[in-house]
Amino acid sequence: MTDLPPSDLTPRAARPERRARRARSALLVALVVVAVVGVLVRTLDDASLFFYPVDEAVELRAELGEERFRVVGSPQPGVVEAVADGRTVVVFTLCVGEVLADVVHEGDPAELFQPGVPVVLQGTWRREDPPLLDALDRPAADGWHLQTDHMVVKHDNDYRAEGAELEPCGTAP
Amino acid sequence: MDILATESRITTGSRGTRLLGLAALAGVLALLVFAFVLTDPDVRTHPTSGEEFGQFDAVRLLYLHVPMAILTYAAYALCAAASAGYLLRRTPWWDVTAHAAAEVGTLVCALVLVTGSIWGRPVWNTWWEWGDVRLMTTLLLFLLFLGYLALRRAAVDPESAARPAAVVALVAVLDIPLVNRSVEWWENRTLHQKSTLAELKIEDLTLFTLVLGIVVFGLVVTWLLLHRFRVGWLERAEVTHGIDRAIAERRGVASTTGVDSTVGQTREES
Repeated sequence: MTDLPPSDLTPRAARPERRARRARSALLVALVVVAVVGVLVRTLDDASLFFYPVDEAVELRAELGEERFRVVGSPQPGVVEAVADGRTVVVFTLCVGEVLADVVHEGDPAELFQPGVPVVLQGTWRREDPPLLDALDRPAADGWHLQTDHMVVKHDNDYRAEGAELEPCGTAP
Repeated sequence: MDILATESRITTGSRGTRLLGLAALAGVLALLVFAFVLTDPDVRTHPTSGEEFGQFDAVRLLYLHVPMAILTYAAYALCAAASAGYLLRRTPWWDVTAHAAAEVGTLVCALVLVTGSIWGRPVWNTWWEWGDVRLMTTLLLFLLFLGYLALRRAAVDPESAARPAAVVALVAVLDIPLVNRSVEWWENRTLHQKSTLAELKIEDLTLFTLVLGIVVFGLVVTWLLLHRFRVGWLERAEVTHGIDRAIAERRGVASTTGVDSTVGQTREES
């Protein structure tokens, strides 16, 4: 113990690198707090947007009015691409069970968009028939359509070669 | 002997961890072969149109993403268990274990978010879906443990951060059931599919490769945990050694200047 070299034991100010480390850490903590709050705010903001199944969306049509919402359902066979007002749109019919709703989707559809594969669309109700109604295989043709601009594919969890099922669209052919 | 004087000889490796590392490396190579070569892409034929549909090659990310998600849960659960152990026992072993598990868990959780996002672009048509309960609770889990790690870094003395960090870990881990069950509890609030393994909607080589992935990532995470634990333990030893050395220096000075060198010592020491 006694052969240790003598040390300068005068009290010293905190080393600059230690202060810098504390400042960096405090900044990191602040960033994490901001990120957590941001996530919560964003989640709560989105909480009003439920995935309504098509049948519920049709039932709540009057209540939803011009409100933007998400709707989930299976596209029926018979998808028509068209140009409306200079923009590319995809027209098809969405269904859950026997309930149908015509859709005019603005923009390119999802890469894996296929009849029978459920999709989640985001948009609003419009009180008019969609364009190219006659070209659809089995349209709802009820004087309404969903005007959407955001499409994501809701993939199932079945990875069996023979087990994967398409969601049937009512009595669609 | 001054352990830090032999710094060049200090290693976190041992015969066991080297063997484990080799097994993990071989496992990763085997997993890559199974995931990207031997298994088939997810291609199905549409019953009416006859067109092909499915996830195609994107399904291969399943063999990485799902095992990583499971190992994230495991690492954070270990962190919470070790944090509880620390609050009960107050020994550094528990604290260093909790810290190591949180760090490894956060790394794996980040990879879960990245691989999920890469998978989501071709399959869902989006990199990220704000408001999706599964995605948001996972992001929140990542941020909570990032906060845990930031808290630990903010303290110069690891001892002072141990207790608050343990409490944060025990709170943050409560998000895991929400992440895991979100696809069941909020079926109309999540784009994410339900658990494939729980419903066993997977078979043959696909199932084998997924299970292989879980085993391989288990080895990788264990290897990382052991090394991170040993690094943490050495860091702790360095701090303790520094304090011991400073005390020894003060006593040395005191003895040469005639000051009572027993001041500050316990009765047993003096």
